[in-house]
Amino acid sequence: MFMKNIFAVLLIFAISSAVLGQTKISGRITGEDKQPLPGANIYIKDSYDGVSSEVDGNFSFTTDEQGEAVLIVSFVGYLTYSQNITLDSKPKHLDIVLKEDAKELGTIVISAGSFEASDENKAVILRPLDVLTTGSDGDIYSTLETLPGTQQIGETEGLFVRGGSASETKTLIDEMTVQNPFYSSVPDIPSRGRFSPMLFKGTIFSTGGYSAKYGQALSSVLVLKTQDLPPKTQSAINIMPLGLGGSHTQLWENSSVSFEGGYYNLGPYFKVQPQRTDWDKAPESFEGSANFRYKTSQTGMLKAFTSFSTGSLSLYFPNLDSLPQKDFYHQKSNNFFVNTNYRNILWDDWTLFAGYSVGIDNIDNKINTDLANRDDIFHTGKLTVTKNILSNAFLTFGGEVQNLDHTSSFNALKGNFNETYLAGYLEADVFFTNDFAGRIGVRTENSKLLDKTNFAPRLSFAYRLGAYDQLNFAYGKFYQTPDPDFLLYSKNFEFENADHYILNYQYIGTDRTFRIEAYYKNYANLAKGTVFTYPYFDLPAIPFGSSGKGYAKGIDVFWRDQATFAHTDYWISYSYLDTKRDYKNYPTLASPPFSTPHTFSVVAKRWVQSITTLFGLTYTFATGRPYFNPNNPKFLGDRGKNYQNLSLNASHLLSVFGNFTVLFISIDNVLGFENLYGYNYSTDGTIRAPILPTALRTYFFGLFISLGETNPY
Amino acid sequence: MKFIISLFLILLLSDSVFSQDKYESGMKINLAKMDECKNSNDYLKVSNSFERIAIAEKDKWLPYYYSALNCVLASYIDSSKTTKDIYLNKADKYINAADSLAPENSEIYTLKGMIAQARMQIDPMNRWQKYGTEATNNFTKAIQADTLNPRPEYLIGVGLFYTPQQFGGGPTAAKPVLEKSLMKYNQPAPENDLMPHWGKEQVEYYLKQIDGEK
Repeated sequence: MFMKNIFAVLLIFAISSAVLGQTKISGRITGEDKQPLPGANIYIKDSYDGVSSEVDGNFSFTTDEQGEAVLIVSFVGYLTYSQNITLDSKPKHLDIVLKEDAKELGTIVISAGSFEASDENKAVILRPLDVLTTGSDGDIYSTLETLPGTQQIGETEGLFVRGGSASETKTLIDEMTVQNPFYSSVPDIPSRGRFSPMLFKGTIFSTGGYSAKYGQALSSVLVLKTQDLPPKTQSAINIMPLGLGGSHTQLWENSSVSFEGGYYNLGPYFKVQPQRTDWDKAPESFEGSANFRYKTSQTGMLKAFTSFSTGSLSLYFPNLDSLPQKDFYHQKSNNFFVNTNYRNILWDDWTLFAGYSVGIDNIDNKINTDLANRDDIFHTGKLTVTKNILSNAFLTFGGEVQNLDHTSSFNALKGNFNETYLAGYLEADVFFTNDFAGRIGVRTENSKLLDKTNFAPRLSFAYRLGAYDQLNFAYGKFYQTPDPDFLLYSKNFEFENADHYILNYQYIGTDRTFRIEAYYKNYANLAKGTVFTYPYFDLPAIPFGSSGKGYAKGIDVFWRDQATFAHTDYWISYSYLDTKRDYKNYPTLASPPFSTPHTFSVVAKRWVQSITTLFGLTYTFATGRPYFNPNNPKFLGDRGKNYQNLSLNASHLLSVFGNFTVLFISIDNVLGFENLYGYNYSTDGTIRAPILPTALRTYFFGLFISLGETNPY
Repeated sequence: MKFIISLFLILLLSDSVFSQDKYESGMKINLAKMDECKNSNDYLKVSNSFERIAIAEKDKWLPYYYSALNCVLASYIDSSKTTKDIYLNKADKYINAADSLAPENSEIYTLKGMIAQARMQIDPMNRWQKYGTEATNNFTKAIQADTLNPRPEYLIGVGLFYTPQQFGGGPTAAKPVLEKSLMKYNQPAPENDLMPHWGKEQVEYYLKQIDGEK
């Protein structure tokens, strides 16, 4: 009897605890903006009991656990939430708000005035592949000329950004300035960039307002980052109408060595493709480079790159003062370049960068019987340290030194200067909230030659409006020492100065990007003076000094779309520019010849899988640019023709004897627009010769064979 | 008294036996649910269920493995590129947790290769260099860790099947790899039916496609 009772009591106890032991938990999961979060994981700690939230954020589950417990809610991109909960069989209703995890979502990128092409950053507008597949000649600078902010200047090399001359843009490789990134200059004939786009994994093209880490560029900087370790050992052969090249890359576990060499001769090409230029000996050059990379640790990388090139050419220019005579022009040039740097992350949150680079250029020009030579030796060293301070900010500081030994000679006359430039910089990147970030910095520079020091504040702010769009603002002071041509004559100059004010709105969606940017640049202390070069015109001779000034203002618009048309990627850029300056030998304020009010570009690419070919098209239109006419009392009052160019290219992927190969074909100026850049005048102004592109149409093809494994697997 | 004591003992014992059953039945229930998933939300729910088991058990790699696998399956179905990458980020987290519990594991290397492959498929033109290499390295390690695992060769074969011929791919290149995989699937199955055994149907499907094209 007693036993039965106890058993019954135990049984009732057991049953009731089974039934009464369940607690129902339900509710809704949202973010701070009240939007529901579907697929969040809601569960009791140390138990299997739990559920995922539905599309509307609601959830509901029952648990057998009892007593004091911890409820946890986790969702990717948000901080995990936990709270104590008493499981006493009474239903619980909980509306839970999760907080965003800033580190997961990705920090906002400060980007006023810059285009970045890389894989590292999510919010980029360009990819490294874009640089290779845009433009008809595989030159980085050609690709950049399809972005807003750049001007189309067909008769000379360089990037002309927002009313600035080519010398106002500096090219940097791995944080260090490259003195001569282009092949040697020939009058009215543009030269190519020296460095193959294949060397670089990332590009930051800043059209203004750039970081305090960089200086000596009144308008913009192009920062190129070299590749780290290559993916595998391979060899490659390049065959082009202008010559042959080959390379070999050897990869070990933590290091790699690459060698590259090429011989280029445009002679045969010019025989098939007649040029307007009167060549005597077409450009011929021989070049080689070596590249060494060593991954010192998980976070450390040591790089060393060296290249050399030697070339010569000769041609005839019509002598407008004594037609039909021609001037004979011969150029021989040598270039040697070294860039070595080391990067590492130490003690968890100190990032160290140290680099040294040297560039040596010798250019010997012979014009009839006159000799005009130029020799440059340029050393630069840089040290940058970055440290995290607080959870939402990091500090960057460092210094750089540049030394330029420049010698210029004309027959027996010889000029030389040696300049040492020192700079220090300090910059803080602060993420005030998840949606608002700022970069505040200062750069100070000293020129030994000018015996002057400056302070250049730089500010940049980014404000995130929504998931995809952002408002950016930048302000900065930028200084630059005057051109070497001026420094040979006088040291009585100030640093040239430009103040930038930039405001932009950008939308970077999954497949579409839109950007509109307005800017105002105020130039002051621009170098003025008359440097006597042939031909002489009746312009007043101006003494050397820093009284030049000017302004540039405008709006740049960019739209990129990779989704609307199947397998098609296109972008459209438009620039409006209004600029005037009084510098060098200008008698008054005038719009310079490297500026024009309207520039428009369309770049489109389409991949056709069935024939594994990428087709590309680039169309550019620009209004006419000012040119100097000695007969016009208004200085730079004449305008050239409107410029138009349609170029087509195709890259076909195939296999040659089992090796991965790319066949590249391009035609520049397909429609044969008769473009005219301006005129050269005789000294008395009565005769003029048009400055035209070197050929009406340019045909180019290349075969790039990659030897070794073809399979990406 | 004896009866009450033995009742207590039975209750105590059944608790520990029950927890082992609890893990096995929890895993089996969710493995069955995987076959019923119709859209990416379903796969994510199953992934979350496996995550709960993983967190509760603390020292078992298999539930983390299945959490990651379901995220990859969700990424295949979903159409938006950004969402695919988000699911694969989740998969990375889970497979790394599995890896820390069971290093040098063939199935874990296989799944890491699968994730790299899925990332590559999102943007092949821009990503094949980085993720193609990562996928190959992981599949190679998977085969080295367990030569009888059929899944690495299945994934390599499918990858080759979809790779253009100019890159060394195509059905002819895929066939021998898939046949090798099928041979390994036909070996006697391991006893533990919680371990991964997926993929055989897909290999047979692709081999049929290849033979059909001839």
